[in-house]
Amino acid sequence: MCPAQELRERESQNRLHHFEVVPGTEAFRKPSGDPLRAVKEYSRPAAGKDAAKPSDLRPPDVLLRTVCYLIDEIVGSPSPHPWTEVYSFVFDRLRSVKQDMIIQRLSGKDCVAILERTVRFHIYASYRLCGEPLRIYDPRINDTHLQEYLSWLFDCYKTGAGPYPNQEEFQALGLLYNLGLSAATQHVLELPVRLRQTPSVKLALAISQAFLAGNPVRLLRLAQKLDFLQACALHRHLVTCRRHLLLIYSHGFSSRNCRFPLDRLARLSSLEAPLAAGLCRAYGVEVNQHNQVVFSKSAFAEPAQGRLECKLYHGIVSEKERGLAVKSIIHGCS
Amino acid sequence: MAHITINQYLQQINEAIENHEGSFCAELLSFKHPHVANPRLQLASPEEKCQQILEPPYDEMVAAHLRAFQSHKEENWALHIMFAVTLDLRIFANNAEQQLQKKGKGQPGEMLEKAAEQLMSCFRVCASDNRAGVDDSKKWGMMFLSNQLFKIYFKINKLHLCKPLIRAIDSSNLKNDYSPAQKVTYKYYVGRKAMFDSDFKTAEELLSYAFDHCHRSCQKNKRMILIYLLPVKMLLGHMPTHLLLRKYDLTQFADVTKAVSEGNLLLLNEALSKHETFFIRCGIFLILEKLKIITYRNLFKKVYLLLKTHQLPLDAFLVALRMMQVEDVDIDEVQCLLANLIYMGHIKGYISHQHQKLVVSKQNPFPPLSSVS
Repeated sequence: MCPAQELRERESQNRLHHFEVVPGTEAFRKPSGDPLRAVKEYSRPAAGKDAAKPSDLRPPDVLLRTVCYLIDEIVGSPSPHPWTEVYSFVFDRLRSVKQDMIIQRLSGKDCVAILERTVRFHIYASYRLCGEPLRIYDPRINDTHLQEYLSWLFDCYKTGAGPYPNQEEFQALGLLYNLGLSAATQHVLELPVRLRQTPSVKLALAISQAFLAGNPVRLLRLAQKLDFLQACALHRHLVTCRRHLLLIYSHGFSSRNCRFPLDRLARLSSLEAPLAAGLCRAYGVEVNQHNQVVFSKSAFAEPAQGRLECKLYHGIVSEKERGLAVKSIIHGCS
Repeated sequence: MAHITINQYLQQINEAIENHEGSFCAELLSFKHPHVANPRLQLASPEEKCQQILEPPYDEMVAAHLRAFQSHKEENWALHIMFAVTLDLRIFANNAEQQLQKKGKGQPGEMLEKAAEQLMSCFRVCASDNRAGVDDSKKWGMMFLSNQLFKIYFKINKLHLCKPLIRAIDSSNLKNDYSPAQKVTYKYYVGRKAMFDSDFKTAEELLSYAFDHCHRSCQKNKRMILIYLLPVKMLLGHMPTHLLLRKYDLTQFADVTKAVSEGNLLLLNEALSKHETFFIRCGIFLILEKLKIITYRNLFKKVYLLLKTHQLPLDAFLVALRMMQVEDVDIDEVQCLLANLIYMGHIKGYISHQHQKLVVSKQNPFPPLSSVS
């Protein structure tokens, strides 16, 4: 998975990740590299650098094995590593896999198999690392890479001979992740009818319709039917969606004597009552001591930046994760 | 070398040709070579000299080379040549693309992207011509080129690439003085882009301009503009007449129009699925979906007109939605849809959850669509 020369170099420069050293030598002044665990790292193409030494390029089957190794042994490692560390290691090594793929102009089944796993990893990470400090996890960078992998994957589906049994899964994920984006919706609409009629794409389309029709109640209701990874893909829109719900209710139910039961609002927004009350207060919406919400259009206010913690409201996603191993989520055998 | 006379220069070429010194000869004909800076070689009509010294076909080649490197400083008459050549380039690229796709070769969009690169380099030359006076400026070529580029970008689905072109033209002082034909095309594409970005007000302005200024003999173009202008207008509350739809052979919109104005969700869904292929191909299916909000408004207005009261039971709306066969709809969703319409300004009033009623304003509870948004 790693060219011999790079391994030697990084060993002598002490630049091996501890996932890559011979077990037991971690504490040494210069831990020794384990050729079975070292993975070629990403290095930026730069002027004067011979980027494509043919001997350093990994052929398609090795690339796929590398990705599987990263999922099985690093992401799915039985010993507990902090996820932020797993992420930064796997993120970088997947990026170098991508680099090798681009140089060799990979296409076809192996390429699709690699891209599918990579996309799942990035979607899962976007949920799992939500709220981590920016220096550890930058959602914008994760997003840029994810979009690139997604559009490459869709190109493969479009031009390749197939059949690609997972295509419906990824078309749905793409739409949910890019909810409300004209380009993403148009892309799905242009798919063959056969694909658009599959259950997961249909559900994703229904969610996108609810979004366009300004109907967050229906959207959140449909979101209950998503599987875990689909919920991860939708997750970044949940804040916007609940905000929209509170915003339109603040206008629609704005009357001095009117009250709205908190329990009901909690159910609509797929939250526990105390969390729903917290969310209301974050947006300036009053909840009185009788557990009633007092909507008023003048009271609605945007929370100060960083005050709203998305992570608190993850319930709708996290309850679906129960009993699933991360490894199998990313391999796609859930 | 840089200051030789025209005779010396031609002698050198002649010798190089006779001695078969290919690479030296190539240098003498390259624009990367310093001789292009030599003022003595910049002749308006070098043909005669060339014929005296060189044998055909080299005489013509060298003459063309010498003419070209006068480099059109402060002149722009050649823009018309560029227009013709770049238009051909795009059309050839289009054909090449289609042929390659038929044979299953090459990446989709590859040929068009290559053509776009060339067009872009022309655009840069034009956009950076800051020295010449207005009349001689190559900036007059910008709008034509960006129109060609728009055509490619829309075809290969890379709309984000339009942005720098739009910005360059917007900031240019010539933007209102291009020819009407160019302006119509330009506004058509920029309008479609605005529509794609959900900026409907701007889209309406641009597309209306394109439609009003498009030459009356170009019925096909007017029809193309209407395909995008109609949905935008409808979203802003202006419904097309049946006459217009028939005139431009756009009856696909007839049922949509009828459904929206009647608040008939059922008919709207039917009309959308009946002409789905057409609407999707034109890229307007999404915006037509947005007409649902207005259809809800019109349906709910009917409920209000029927009940003739200002306190409307929510159940009545539920019954209306069920009549329209909206799937799995319940009171929660009724409340949500009403709240959204109130928020958007389509209904004046409030919902009372305790009484399960919508209380609407005594004056103008459903303001005209064109006054909202």
